Amino acid sequence: MRTRKNRFSVDRSGQLLIVAALAIAILISSTTAYVYELSKESGNPQNQSIGDLALALKQSTRNAIISSLANASNGEEEDILTTNLGILAQVFRSLHQLDMCSLAFTPFGDAPYDSGTWLSWNTTGADVSSACANFVLDIRDGSDRAMISYAVNITTSLTMDGVYQLQDSEKHVNLTCRIYNEGLPALAESLNVFYLASGNWTEVDASGLSEADYGNGTYVLTFPVPQEATQISIHMRDLRNILVQSKYDIP
Amino acid sequence: MKNANKGQIRIIEAFFAVIIIFSAFAVSANLSVSNHTISHENLASIGLNSLVELDRDGYFCKYITTGNFTALREALSLVLPTGVCFNLTIYDTQMQQVNTEIITNSGFGSQDIATVEYVSAGQDSPFLCYIVHMQLWVVT
Repeated sequence: MRTRKNRFSVDRSGQLLIVAALAIAILISSTTAYVYELSKESGNPQNQSIGDLALALKQSTRNAIISSLANASNGEEEDILTTNLGILAQVFRSLHQLDMCSLAFTPFGDAPYDSGTWLSWNTTGADVSSACANFVLDIRDGSDRAMISYAVNITTSLTMDGVYQLQDSEKHVNLTCRIYNEGLPALAESLNVFYLASGNWTEVDASGLSEADYGNGTYVLTFPVPQEATQISIHMRDLRNILVQSKYDIP
Repeated sequence: MKNANKGQIRIIEAFFAVIIIFSAFAVSANLSVSNHTISHENLASIGLNSLVELDRDGYFCKYITTGNFTALREALSLVLPTGVCFNLTIYDTQMQQVNTEIITNSGFGSQDIATVEYVSAGQDSPFLCYIVHMQLWVVT
C-alpha cells in the first residue's frame, strides 16, 4: 500500500511542478498588477490642471506684490500696489477671455496698512516694510469650478541693537542688524549707514566701516562717528530690493 | 518503455514550469514600462510647474527683461525632465512678441503636443509682466 502511494506521488510530481509554477506566476502577476494600480496617479486630470493653474496664478500675484513693495519702499506712491495688481488682473482677463479664470483683489485696508502697504521705519521695535492683499480666484475648467480665496503678505523686517563707547573724541559704534523676510532670516543686497550730527545726516565713510556677514541674516557693523553724532540710521535692502530703515540713538 | 519516457516527460514539465514563470515576469515588466510614459495632462502639468519653479525667485522674468534668452533656455532644459522638448514664445501685455530668438531645445517629437500659458510677473521695479506660451512634447 505504502509502495503504491509513493509511486503515485512520484508519478504526479511533474504535474505538481507545473501547478506550483502556475501559482508562483499568478502571485508575481497579481503583485505587479497591485503595485501598478497603486503607482497610477489618483484624481482626475481636470482637478490637477485647476490646481496647477491656481498655483501659477498665486505665484504671479506674489511676485506682483513683491515688486509693488519694492517700489513703495523706494519712494513710489503707496497706491502702486493697487495699480500693479490691476495690471495683472487685466492680463489674466485678456488671456482667459472666455471667462475661464477671473481674479479679484482687495488691498488690505485695516490699520496699520494703508492701501495694502505698511512702512513702519525708525521705531524702537522691529522696523517693517510690508504689503498685503486678499485675492479671490475663480477658475472654471469644463464642468469643474474652483473658487479659491487667499491672502499674500510680503514683509521685510529689520531689528537692530548695539553699543557704543567714546574713544579719542569719537564714538565707536558696534551694531548687530538682523533682517527677515516673512519672519525668516534673509540676506541683504545692500546696506548704508548714516549718522546725525548738527542736524545733518551724513553717510559713514566706507573705509571706516567694518561689516561682518554671518550668512544667516545677521550683520555686525563696527564704525566710528564724530562725538557730536546723536543718531545712527541703517538703510538695508533685501535681495528683493525692498528697503527698510532703522534708527539707533547714541546720546 | 513507460519508465524510459518518464525522464523526458519530467523535463518537458519542468520546461513548461519555467516558461510559465518567465511569462509572468515578461507581463510584469511590460506593465511597469507602460506606467512610465508621460501622458498629455502630465506634460502640461510638468511644463507649468517648471515655469512656476523658475519664477519663484523672479529669475524667469529677469531673464526676459534682460533679454537673456540663452540662460532662459538652459534653465528650462535643466528643470524639465530628460526627453521633454519645449518651444517658448513670450509676449508683453500688448501681445507683442518679446523674444527676438527662438527659445527651444529642439528635437524630433511626437505628434502629441501640450500647450501651457503662464503669466510671469516680475519682482523688479518697475512692474512688468509677460505672457508665456509654451509648447511641450516628448522626444521620440
